[in-house]
Amino acid sequence: MDAAANFIPLDLFDIAYLLIVGFIGGLVSGFIGSGGAFVLTPAMMSLGVPGIVAVASNMCHKFPKALVGAIKRARYGQVDVKLGLVLGVSAEAGVLYGAHLQESIQRAFGAAGSNLYVSLAFVLVLAVVGGYVMWDAVSAYRSGTSRAQEKVSRLARRIQAVDIPYTMLYFRSLDARVSVLFTIPIGFATGMLAATIAVGGFIGVPGMHYLLGAPSLMASATELVIAFVMGLGGTIKYSWSGLVDIRLAMIILAGSLFGIQLGAIGTTYVKPYMIKVVMGTIMVVVLVSRALVIPVYLSELELIGPLAGGTAKVLKGVSFGIMMFALVTGAMIILQALRKGMRTEREAQAVAAPAVAVMPLPGGAAQVLPQLSPLGRFERFLVASDGSEYSAGAVREALRLAKRCGARLRAVTFVAADQEHETLGEQILKHELDAARVHLEQVAAQATAAGVDCEIEVVQGFSVHDRIVDESERMRADLIVVGRRGRRGLARMMVGDATLKLIGGAHCSVLVVPRAAEVRGRRFVLASDGSRFGDAAAAAAGNLAKRCETPVTVVSVAVPSHPETRRREAPGVVERIVRALRSDGVDADGEVAQGLAADMIVAAAARTGADLIIMGSHGRTGFERLVLGSNTERVLNRTQCAVLVVKAA
Amino acid sequence: MAPVTAAAAGRKILRTLALGVLTAALYAGLFLIEDLVVRLSALGGWYGLVPVAIAFVFSLSHGAFTGYFWDLLGVRARK
Repeated sequence: MDAAANFIPLDLFDIAYLLIVGFIGGLVSGFIGSGGAFVLTPAMMSLGVPGIVAVASNMCHKFPKALVGAIKRARYGQVDVKLGLVLGVSAEAGVLYGAHLQESIQRAFGAAGSNLYVSLAFVLVLAVVGGYVMWDAVSAYRSGTSRAQEKVSRLARRIQAVDIPYTMLYFRSLDARVSVLFTIPIGFATGMLAATIAVGGFIGVPGMHYLLGAPSLMASATELVIAFVMGLGGTIKYSWSGLVDIRLAMIILAGSLFGIQLGAIGTTYVKPYMIKVVMGTIMVVVLVSRALVIPVYLSELELIGPLAGGTAKVLKGVSFGIMMFALVTGAMIILQALRKGMRTEREAQAVAAPAVAVMPLPGGAAQVLPQLSPLGRFERFLVASDGSEYSAGAVREALRLAKRCGARLRAVTFVAADQEHETLGEQILKHELDAARVHLEQVAAQATAAGVDCEIEVVQGFSVHDRIVDESERMRADLIVVGRRGRRGLARMMVGDATLKLIGGAHCSVLVVPRAAEVRGRRFVLASDGSRFGDAAAAAAGNLAKRCETPVTVVSVAVPSHPETRRREAPGVVERIVRALRSDGVDADGEVAQGLAADMIVAAAARTGADLIIMGSHGRTGFERLVLGSNTERVLNRTQCAVLVVKAA
Repeated sequence: MAPVTAAAAGRKILRTLALGVLTAALYAGLFLIEDLVVRLSALGGWYGLVPVAIAFVFSLSHGAFTGYFWDLLGVRARK
């Protein structure tokens, strides 16, 4: 007989049918790591495809699907490749042994015996594992811990504690060393089940989670690596015998690749227990499906009496229908979870968005409007910290000031990221994001200890100062608190100074805190040249001084190079501001200095023992700053105490 | 920032279209030479590597296309 006769002609209905089943199967596989394949073999057989070709073609669609799914989920940092490959090797042995066992049973008991063995395997595994997974998911939900991090099971901890020399391997997903003697039986059982019911993941995922201690999200993602290894090995085995119908495999793959991407995306929106809910639900429904056909096979083997006419056909039809129902139910749960997760995410972003309207510009682009910040308001602080020693002072003083002012604090850490970074350096990016989150959680813990209301967020983008300014606008911050890295000379000329760029771009005040500076409220030095920028600084200084009950020294500098008329204005400027501050209940005095403005301001701070210099910003940036220079920049470069730069807005 | 974002979005659309066209061409090619592929696959042995190679090539092109496809529709993973 011509081997190609195994391959049936396909019409449009067949193609559409396989595409849809492939999509649903892919969706479930992308989400729980496997589980989509078990209906594909019967689905193909229902079109007239011989059983062995259906199994071979199913296998051939499985390995590229698993490869794409594994790559996708690896981008989310969910895949432990090493664990997947180690389990994959023993799973391959399990597949070969499982197939051999199937053939032996078929030879000894015929097709009915083989089918009974498959159905019993389904029922036994699904009852034990599926029941436990479902019970675990429901327990987590009922106990209210469904939103919490998963805990490593007691059994997994015991297995991790067993040290067998020369067999120990470290696995990232477990963050522990485990003996390969424990991974071999899990992989082998996974492979055997895959050869028997086409879904090895029903043992592989729970095995990695409950026995080895991998988080369920990582277990389901790592299962895709095992499925790839098993699928590739199985495909080569079958294609060597000329049994793979590549047309069937590629049509199913066309649908399943859309599904598997969607399922993988879905995992990023759900809590870990949802993986168990979907897996448990499918397993329990499939269990019912397979239990229904057991009497048919028992009857065929004459272990029970013959069934009434047509009963066997009805039972097989209902069984297949229930199996499809299981898959569709799983797909619906995933799509619903994805829809809900995306909506919640959008709502969260809308809440974080600025209350002011975003007006479209004539060119079609939109930008965030500057806030209408009353001068000297200290209600919302944004502290930007990179976790380095340079940011330590900023975090410390932001907490201190927030407590004194009763302000809300938002701590952010910037991680450079764009499309190229995400594609080329997933692991590096993930490492940076993890480190940023750990640092921010430490800041949040400090805030809680200090009694300050604090939110944390990792922000990503191209440039640090732009993103921090954006964040300050989004939360309508009154104050941005940053550290000072103090880049000087050639380095500053080449790459610029992020702090100065931030001050130039910010619409609210910026507090720059060198690493050792402390704002204890001993005395503030307020620098003013009598301009509206100086008045803005005076308003902010008065407000802050009242809150901190701190005396203020007003300094105005008569710069020798300035015209005589301007130099004569300095005493008047000081007198006007001191009077205004005193009338507001602030302990204030003043002095007029002669010399270079920045030097005199820094000297006044040192002489009076001030711990904060407050000054207005003329907001010069770019070429203007290069030519005219910036007093703010000079003061920042010369002083060791904190500097509050007030923007006139 | 806006021009960079617009350029990136444009590049993404172009990449999606290119991968879509490539994937469609691969499927069209497979069914155009359907008889030949089926005959070779059925031979088995070293010819059995034909379906394996086809599966790899399709997964790379089609997998990348579906990723960009959902991204363009706004279905993205949560950061």
